[in-house]
Amino acid sequence: MSMHPPDPLADLPWPKPEAPSAAVSAKICGACTKNLCAKRGMSALSRLLLCLVVSGLVASFGYWFGVRHHRAELGLRLGVYAAVAWGLVQAAVLYVGFAPRRGLLGSRAVRVAVAVFLPLLFLGYLSYAAWSYVPFDQFSQGARASHAFSCGLIALGFGAIVGGSVLLAWRGTNPLTPGLSGTLAGFVGGVGGALAVGIGCPSHEAWHLWTAHGLIVLALGLMGFVAGRRLLSP
Amino acid sequence: MERYVDGEAEAFEFLYRRVSPNLMGYLLRLTRNRERAEDLLQITFSKIHRARGSFLKGAPVLPWILAIARRSFLDERRSAQVRTEDLSPDGSLPEQQNEERPLPAELSDALDVALGRLPENYREAIVLTKITGLSVAEAASVLGATETAVKLRVHRGYTQLRKELEQYSRTP
Repeated sequence: MSMHPPDPLADLPWPKPEAPSAAVSAKICGACTKNLCAKRGMSALSRLLLCLVVSGLVASFGYWFGVRHHRAELGLRLGVYAAVAWGLVQAAVLYVGFAPRRGLLGSRAVRVAVAVFLPLLFLGYLSYAAWSYVPFDQFSQGARASHAFSCGLIALGFGAIVGGSVLLAWRGTNPLTPGLSGTLAGFVGGVGGALAVGIGCPSHEAWHLWTAHGLIVLALGLMGFVAGRRLLSP
Repeated sequence: MERYVDGEAEAFEFLYRRVSPNLMGYLLRLTRNRERAEDLLQITFSKIHRARGSFLKGAPVLPWILAIARRSFLDERRSAQVRTEDLSPDGSLPEQQNEERPLPAELSDALDVALGRLPENYREAIVLTKITGLSVAEAASVLGATETAVKLRVHRGYTQLRKELEQYSRTP
Protein backbone atom coordinates (compact mmCIF):
# COMPACT_ATOMS: atom_id res chain seq x y z
CA MET A 1 0.00 0.00 0.00
CA SER A 2 1.48 3.36 -1.04
CA MET A 3 1.34 6.31 1.34
CA HIS A 4 0.58 9.69 -0.29
CA PRO A 5 2.24 12.72 1.33
CA PRO A 6 -0.35 15.18 2.72
CA ASP A 7 -1.34 17.85 0.21
CA PRO A 8 -0.20 21.25 1.59
CA LEU A 9 -3.02 22.94 -0.37
CA ALA A 10 -5.76 20.96 1.35
CA ASP A 11 -5.96 23.67 3.99
CA LEU A 12 -4.50 26.89 2.66
CA PRO A 13 -2.70 29.14 5.16
CA TRP A 14 -5.00 32.13 4.65
CA PRO A 15 -3.43 35.44 5.72
CA LYS A 16 -4.54 36.57 9.17
CA PRO A 17 -6.33 39.93 9.54
CA GLU A 18 -3.72 42.55 10.38
CA ALA A 19 -3.98 45.61 12.56
CA PRO A 20 -3.34 49.06 11.11
CA SER A 21 -0.28 50.98 12.30
CA ALA A 22 -0.37 52.52 15.79
CA ALA A 23 -0.18 56.07 14.37
CA VAL A 24 -3.22 55.54 12.15
CA SER A 25 -5.15 53.88 14.98
CA ALA A 26 -4.37 56.77 17.33
CA LYS A 27 -5.47 59.27 14.68
CA ILE A 28 -8.79 57.47 14.04
CA CYS A 29 -9.57 56.94 17.73
CA GLY A 30 -8.70 60.55 18.50
CA ALA A 31 -10.92 61.90 15.72
CA CYS A 32 -13.87 59.62 16.47
CA THR A 33 -13.93 60.05 20.26
CA LYS A 34 -13.29 63.80 20.40
CA ASN A 35 -16.41 65.53 21.81
CA LEU A 36 -18.36 62.31 21.24
CA CYS A 37 -22.04 62.70 22.03
CA ALA A 38 -25.17 60.61 21.56
CA LYS A 39 -26.49 60.72 18.00
CA ARG A 40 -29.76 59.03 17.18
CA GLY A 41 -31.51 59.48 13.86
CA MET A 42 -35.26 59.56 13.41
CA SER A 43 -37.12 56.35 14.17
CA ALA A 44 -38.27 54.18 11.27
CA LEU A 45 -41.91 55.07 12.04
CA SER A 46 -41.22 58.83 11.92
CA ARG A 47 -39.39 58.47 8.63
CA LEU A 48 -42.23 56.41 7.18
CA LEU A 49 -44.86 58.93 8.35
CA LEU A 50 -42.83 61.82 6.93
CA CYS A 51 -42.78 60.17 3.49
CA LEU A 52 -46.54 59.55 3.60
CA VAL A 53 -47.24 63.14 4.69
CA VAL A 54 -45.23 64.49 1.71
CA SER A 55 -47.12 62.12 -0.60
CA GLY A 56 -50.44 63.30 0.94
CA LEU A 57 -49.48 66.96 0.47
CA VAL A 58 -48.67 66.36 -3.19
CA ALA A 59 -52.01 64.53 -3.67
CA SER A 60 -53.80 67.46 -1.95
CA PHE A 61 -52.20 69.81 -4.42
CA GLY A 62 -53.52 67.63 -7.26
CA TYR A 63 -57.00 67.81 -5.70
CA TRP A 64 -56.79 71.61 -5.33
CA PHE A 65 -55.67 71.86 -8.97
CA GLY A 66 -58.63 69.69 -10.09
CA VAL A 67 -61.15 71.81 -8.13
CA ARG A 68 -59.65 75.00 -9.48
CA HIS A 69 -59.94 73.77 -13.05
CA HIS A 70 -63.55 72.61 -12.53
CA ARG A 71 -62.90 68.94 -12.95
CA ALA A 72 -66.09 66.83 -12.76
CA GLU A 73 -66.97 65.84 -9.17
CA LEU A 74 -67.15 62.12 -10.05
CA GLY A 75 -63.68 62.20 -11.61
CA LEU A 76 -62.24 64.00 -8.58
CA ARG A 77 -63.83 61.55 -6.19
CA LEU A 78 -62.53 58.54 -8.12
CA GLY A 79 -59.06 60.12 -8.22
CA VAL A 80 -59.09 60.61 -4.45
CA TYR A 81 -60.22 57.00 -3.85
CA ALA A 82 -57.41 55.75 -6.10
CA ALA A 83 -54.89 57.99 -4.30
CA VAL A 84 -55.97 56.64 -0.89
CA ALA A 85 -55.76 53.01 -2.10
CA TRP A 86 -52.32 53.57 -3.66
CA GLY A 87 -51.27 55.45 -0.51
CA LEU A 88 -51.77 52.18 1.37
CA VAL A 89 -49.69 50.37 -1.26
CA GLN A 90 -46.98 53.03 -0.90
CA ALA A 91 -46.98 52.58 2.89
CA ALA A 92 -46.62 48.80 2.44
CA VAL A 93 -43.73 49.23 -0.03
CA LEU A 94 -41.98 51.68 2.31
CA TYR A 95 -42.45 49.26 5.20
CA VAL A 96 -41.04 46.29 3.25
CA GLY A 97 -38.29 48.24 1.52
CA PHE A 98 -37.07 50.62 4.18
CA ALA A 99 -38.31 49.91 7.72
CA PRO A 100 -36.08 47.37 9.47
CA ARG A 101 -37.32 44.52 11.64
CA ARG A 102 -34.74 43.82 14.39
CA GLY A 103 -32.17 45.77 12.38
CA LEU A 104 -32.77 43.86 9.14
CA LEU A 105 -34.60 45.00 6.05
CA GLY A 106 -37.01 42.74 4.20
CA SER A 107 -35.20 40.02 2.27
CA ARG A 108 -33.55 41.03 -0.98
CA ALA A 109 -35.73 38.64 -3.00
CA VAL A 110 -38.94 40.16 -1.59
CA ARG A 111 -37.74 43.68 -2.34
CA VAL A 112 -36.71 42.73 -5.89
CA ALA A 113 -40.17 41.17 -6.37
CA VAL A 114 -41.79 44.40 -5.12
CA ALA A 115 -39.58 46.45 -7.46
CA VAL A 116 -40.73 44.32 -10.40
CA PHE A 117 -44.42 44.03 -9.57
CA LEU A 118 -45.16 47.56 -8.30
CA PRO A 119 -44.74 49.29 -11.70
CA LEU A 120 -46.48 46.38 -13.47
CA LEU A 121 -49.40 46.64 -11.06
CA PHE A 122 -49.57 50.39 -11.58
CA LEU A 123 -49.48 50.07 -15.37
CA GLY A 124 -52.24 47.45 -15.08
CA TYR A 125 -54.30 49.88 -12.98
CA LEU A 126 -53.78 52.63 -15.56
CA SER A 127 -54.97 50.28 -18.33
CA TYR A 128 -58.05 49.50 -16.25
CA ALA A 129 -58.71 53.20 -15.61
CA ALA A 130 -58.44 54.09 -19.31
CA TRP A 131 -61.95 54.64 -20.65
CA SER A 132 -61.14 55.76 -24.17
CA TYR A 133 -58.63 54.89 -26.84
CA VAL A 134 -57.32 56.80 -29.84
CA PRO A 135 -54.69 55.46 -32.29
CA PHE A 136 -51.11 56.46 -31.47
CA ASP A 137 -50.69 58.63 -34.61
CA GLN A 138 -53.63 60.80 -33.47
CA PHE A 139 -52.41 60.91 -29.90
CA SER A 140 -48.86 61.88 -30.84
CA GLN A 141 -49.85 65.14 -32.55
CA GLY A 142 -51.47 68.45 -31.63
CA ALA A 143 -53.28 69.24 -28.40
CA ARG A 144 -53.30 65.65 -27.10
CA ALA A 145 -49.50 65.40 -27.33
CA SER A 146 -48.90 68.78 -25.67
CA HIS A 147 -51.37 67.90 -22.89
CA ALA A 148 -49.55 64.59 -22.31
CA PHE A 149 -46.21 66.40 -22.29
CA SER A 150 -47.29 68.98 -19.71
CA CYS A 151 -49.00 66.29 -17.60
CA GLY A 152 -45.84 64.15 -17.74
CA LEU A 153 -43.64 67.07 -16.68
CA ILE A 154 -45.86 67.89 -13.71
CA ALA A 155 -46.04 64.22 -12.71
CA LEU A 156 -42.26 64.03 -12.97
CA GLY A 157 -41.89 67.08 -10.71
CA PHE A 158 -44.39 65.75 -8.14
CA GLY A 159 -42.78 62.31 -8.29
CA ALA A 160 -39.35 63.81 -7.74
CA ILE A 161 -40.67 65.60 -4.64
CA VAL A 162 -42.17 62.40 -3.18
CA GLY A 163 -39.23 60.15 -4.21
CA GLY A 164 -36.73 62.76 -3.03
CA SER A 165 -38.46 62.94 0.35
CA VAL A 166 -38.13 59.15 0.69
CA LEU A 167 -34.43 59.27 -0.20
CA LEU A 168 -33.77 62.16 2.17
CA ALA A 169 -35.79 60.64 5.01
CA TRP A 170 -33.77 57.41 4.77
CA ARG A 171 -30.49 59.07 3.79
CA GLY A 172 -27.36 57.17 4.84
CA THR A 173 -29.26 54.25 6.34
CA ASN A 174 -28.53 51.51 3.81
CA PRO A 175 -24.97 50.90 2.64
CA LEU A 176 -25.81 47.28 1.74
CA THR A 177 -28.45 47.64 -0.99
CA PRO A 178 -28.62 51.36 -1.85
CA GLY A 179 -29.46 50.80 -5.53
CA LEU A 180 -32.40 48.52 -4.86
CA SER A 181 -33.79 50.75 -2.12
CA GLY A 182 -33.28 53.80 -4.35
CA THR A 183 -35.28 52.10 -7.12
CA LEU A 184 -38.11 51.43 -4.69
CA ALA A 185 -38.00 55.06 -3.54
CA GLY A 186 -38.23 56.13 -7.19
CA PHE A 187 -41.23 53.88 -7.81
CA VAL A 188 -42.99 55.14 -4.67
CA GLY A 189 -42.33 58.71 -5.82
CA GLY A 190 -43.48 57.94 -9.36
CA VAL A 191 -46.75 56.41 -8.17
CA GLY A 192 -47.31 59.38 -5.81
CA GLY A 193 -46.62 61.92 -8.56
CA ALA A 194 -48.71 60.14 -11.20
CA LEU A 195 -51.68 59.85 -8.84
CA ALA A 196 -51.47 63.48 -7.73
CA VAL A 197 -51.60 64.56 -11.36
CA GLY A 198 -54.29 61.93 -12.02
CA ILE A 199 -56.65 63.61 -9.50
CA GLY A 200 -56.48 66.87 -11.40
CA CYS A 201 -56.15 65.48 -14.94
CA PRO A 202 -59.42 65.04 -16.87
CA SER A 203 -58.01 62.65 -19.50
CA HIS A 204 -58.93 58.96 -19.45
CA GLU A 205 -57.30 58.20 -22.77
CA ALA A 206 -55.13 55.06 -22.75
CA TRP A 207 -52.01 56.45 -24.48
CA HIS A 208 -52.14 59.54 -22.27
CA LEU A 209 -52.26 57.47 -19.10
CA TRP A 210 -49.52 55.05 -20.19
CA THR A 211 -47.08 57.73 -21.31
CA ALA A 212 -47.77 60.80 -19.14
CA HIS A 213 -48.65 58.89 -15.96
CA GLY A 214 -47.11 55.42 -16.40
CA LEU A 215 -43.71 56.00 -18.01
CA ILE A 216 -42.97 58.53 -15.27
CA VAL A 217 -42.99 55.71 -12.72
CA LEU A 218 -40.38 53.77 -14.70
CA ALA A 219 -38.26 56.89 -15.28
CA LEU A 220 -38.31 57.76 -11.59
CA GLY A 221 -37.40 54.17 -10.69
CA LEU A 222 -34.28 54.54 -12.83
CA MET A 223 -33.47 57.94 -11.34
CA GLY A 224 -34.02 56.50 -7.87
CA PHE A 225 -31.52 53.72 -8.61
CA VAL A 226 -28.83 56.27 -9.48
CA ALA A 227 -29.66 58.71 -6.66
CA GLY A 228 -30.07 55.91 -4.11
CA ARG A 229 -26.51 54.68 -4.64
CA ARG A 230 -25.31 58.20 -3.73
CA LEU A 231 -27.74 59.11 -0.95
CA LEU A 232 -28.64 55.90 0.86
CA SER A 233 -25.07 54.77 1.42
CA PRO A 234 -23.25 56.76 4.17
CA MET B 1 -22.11 49.84 18.19
CA GLU B 2 -25.24 50.98 20.00
CA ARG B 3 -23.22 52.17 23.03
CA TYR B 4 -20.98 54.09 20.63
CA VAL B 5 -24.07 55.67 19.03
CA ASP B 6 -25.12 56.66 22.56
CA GLY B 7 -21.85 58.57 22.94
CA GLU B 8 -19.55 56.18 24.88
CA ALA B 9 -15.91 56.70 23.84
CA GLU B 10 -14.81 53.36 25.36
CA ALA B 11 -17.42 51.61 23.21
CA PHE B 12 -15.84 53.11 20.09
CA GLU B 13 -12.37 51.95 21.16
CA PHE B 14 -13.70 48.45 21.78
CA LEU B 15 -15.46 48.44 18.41
CA TYR B 16 -12.29 49.71 16.72
CA ARG B 17 -10.14 46.96 18.28
CA ARG B 18 -12.65 44.31 17.19
CA VAL B 19 -13.30 45.54 13.66
CA SER B 20 -10.13 47.28 12.43
CA PRO B 21 -7.97 44.14 11.78
CA ASN B 22 -10.71 42.59 9.61
CA LEU B 23 -11.35 45.88 7.85
CA MET B 24 -7.65 46.52 7.30
CA GLY B 25 -7.18 42.99 5.93
CA TYR B 26 -10.08 43.50 3.52
CA LEU B 27 -8.82 46.91 2.35
CA LEU B 28 -5.25 45.64 2.00
CA ARG B 29 -6.39 42.85 -0.31
CA LEU B 30 -8.56 45.26 -2.31
CA THR B 31 -5.92 47.95 -2.76
CA ARG B 32 -2.73 45.79 -2.51
CA ASN B 33 -1.07 48.90 -1.05
CA ARG B 34 -0.67 49.52 2.69
CA GLU B 35 -0.73 53.33 2.48
CA ARG B 36 -3.90 53.38 0.39
CA ALA B 37 -5.49 50.82 2.68
CA GLU B 38 -4.73 52.97 5.74
CA ASP B 39 -6.08 56.08 4.01
CA LEU B 40 -9.27 54.21 3.16
CA LEU B 41 -9.50 52.93 6.72
CA GLN B 42 -9.50 56.53 7.97
CA ILE B 43 -12.08 57.56 5.36
CA THR B 44 -14.28 54.60 6.30
CA PHE B 45 -14.17 55.38 10.03
CA SER B 46 -14.90 59.06 9.41
CA LYS B 47 -17.98 58.00 7.38
CA ILE B 48 -19.03 55.58 10.13
CA HIS B 49 -18.63 58.36 12.69
CA ARG B 50 -20.78 60.76 10.68
CA ALA B 51 -23.41 58.13 9.87
CA ARG B 52 -23.56 56.48 13.30
CA GLY B 53 -26.97 58.03 13.97
CA SER B 54 -28.43 56.21 10.96
CA PHE B 55 -27.19 52.78 12.06
CA LEU B 56 -30.27 50.58 12.35
CA LYS B 57 -30.53 49.17 15.86
CA GLY B 58 -29.85 45.42 15.91
CA ALA B 59 -28.33 45.25 12.39
CA PRO B 60 -25.11 43.19 11.96
CA VAL B 61 -22.20 45.60 12.41
CA LEU B 62 -19.37 44.05 10.36
CA PRO B 63 -21.26 43.77 7.03
CA TRP B 64 -22.51 47.36 7.53
CA ILE B 65 -18.96 48.61 8.06
CA LEU B 66 -17.48 46.51 5.23
CA ALA B 67 -20.14 47.80 2.82
CA ILE B 68 -19.16 51.38 3.71
CA ALA B 69 -15.47 50.48 3.22
CA ARG B 70 -16.21 48.91 -0.16
CA ARG B 71 -18.17 51.97 -1.29
CA SER B 72 -15.27 54.21 -0.15
CA PHE B 73 -12.83 52.04 -2.14
CA LEU B 74 -14.98 52.21 -5.28
CA ASP B 75 -15.41 56.00 -4.94
CA GLU B 76 -11.67 56.46 -4.43
CA ARG B 77 -10.85 54.28 -7.43
CA ARG B 78 -13.35 56.16 -9.61
CA SER B 79 -11.81 59.51 -8.69
CA ALA B 80 -8.29 58.08 -9.22
CA GLN B 81 -9.25 57.06 -12.77
CA VAL B 82 -10.01 60.65 -13.75
CA ARG B 83 -6.82 62.01 -12.16
CA THR B 84 -4.12 63.08 -14.62
CA GLU B 85 -1.10 60.80 -15.02
CA ASP B 86 2.39 62.27 -14.59
CA LEU B 87 4.60 61.82 -17.63
CA SER B 88 8.12 60.46 -17.25
CA PRO B 89 11.01 62.91 -18.03
CA ASP B 90 11.14 61.85 -21.69
CA GLY B 91 7.45 62.73 -22.09
CA SER B 92 6.08 59.19 -22.29
CA LEU B 93 3.51 57.54 -20.00
CA PRO B 94 5.02 55.45 -17.19
CA GLU B 95 5.15 51.72 -17.90
CA GLN B 96 2.55 49.52 -16.26
CA GLN B 97 4.14 47.00 -13.89
CA ASN B 98 2.18 43.89 -14.66
CA GLU B 99 4.87 41.39 -15.52
CA GLU B 100 4.34 37.89 -14.11
CA ARG B 101 6.90 37.29 -11.39
CA PRO B 102 7.56 33.81 -10.01
CA LEU B 103 5.75 33.04 -6.77
CA PRO B 104 7.74 33.22 -3.49
CA ALA B 105 9.06 29.99 -1.96
CA GLU B 106 6.94 30.20 1.20
CA LEU B 107 3.37 28.95 0.64
CA SER B 108 1.73 31.65 2.79
CA ASP B 109 3.55 34.41 0.86
CA ALA B 110 2.77 32.70 -2.44
CA LEU B 111 -0.91 32.54 -1.48
CA ASP B 112 -0.93 36.26 -0.79
CA VAL B 113 0.63 36.99 -4.20
CA ALA B 114 -1.66 34.53 -6.01
CA LEU B 115 -4.66 36.07 -4.25
CA GLY B 116 -3.60 39.46 -5.60
CA ARG B 117 -3.53 38.06 -9.14
CA LEU B 118 -7.12 36.83 -9.02
CA PRO B 119 -9.86 38.81 -10.82
CA GLU B 120 -11.28 41.36 -8.39
CA ASN B 121 -14.73 39.79 -7.93
CA TYR B 122 -13.22 36.37 -7.10
CA ARG B 123 -10.67 37.94 -4.78
CA GLU B 124 -13.28 39.97 -2.90
CA ALA B 125 -15.53 36.94 -2.40
CA ILE B 126 -12.62 34.84 -1.10
CA VAL B 127 -11.29 37.61 1.17
CA LEU B 128 -14.71 38.21 2.72
CA THR B 129 -15.48 34.56 3.37
CA LYS B 130 -12.03 33.06 4.10
CA ILE B 131 -10.08 35.92 5.66
CA THR B 132 -12.66 38.31 7.09
CA GLY B 133 -14.78 35.39 8.26
CA LEU B 134 -18.19 36.48 6.99
CA SER B 135 -20.88 33.94 6.19
CA VAL B 136 -21.87 33.55 2.53
CA ALA B 137 -25.12 35.46 3.22
CA GLU B 138 -23.24 38.35 4.86
CA ALA B 139 -20.65 38.45 2.05
CA ALA B 140 -23.50 38.50 -0.48
CA SER B 141 -25.06 41.49 1.27
CA VAL B 142 -21.72 43.37 1.28
CA LEU B 143 -21.11 42.63 -2.40
CA GLY B 144 -24.72 43.28 -3.44
CA ALA B 145 -24.91 39.84 -5.05
CA THR B 146 -26.91 36.67 -4.49
CA GLU B 147 -25.57 33.91 -2.24
CA THR B 148 -25.28 31.59 -5.25
CA ALA B 149 -23.16 34.15 -7.09
CA VAL B 150 -20.84 34.49 -4.09
CA LYS B 151 -20.47 30.70 -3.77
CA LEU B 152 -19.67 30.51 -7.47
CA ARG B 153 -17.07 33.28 -7.24
CA VAL B 154 -15.42 31.63 -4.23
CA HIS B 155 -15.36 28.28 -6.01
CA ARG B 156 -13.92 29.68 -9.25
CA GLY B 157 -11.38 31.78 -7.36
CA TYR B 158 -10.35 28.77 -5.29
CA THR B 159 -9.93 26.64 -8.43
CA GLN B 160 -7.76 29.35 -9.97
CA LEU B 161 -5.73 29.66 -6.77
CA ARG B 162 -5.10 25.91 -6.66
CA LYS B 163 -3.95 25.97 -10.27
CA GLU B 164 -1.49 28.81 -9.51
CA LEU B 165 -0.22 27.05 -6.38
CA GLU B 166 -0.02 23.59 -7.96
CA GLN B 167 3.78 23.46 -7.65
CA TYR B 168 3.49 23.66 -3.83
CA SER B 169 1.34 20.54 -3.63
CA ARG B 170 4.08 18.61 -5.46
CA THR B 171 6.86 19.70 -3.12
CA PRO B 172 7.15 17.33 -0.14
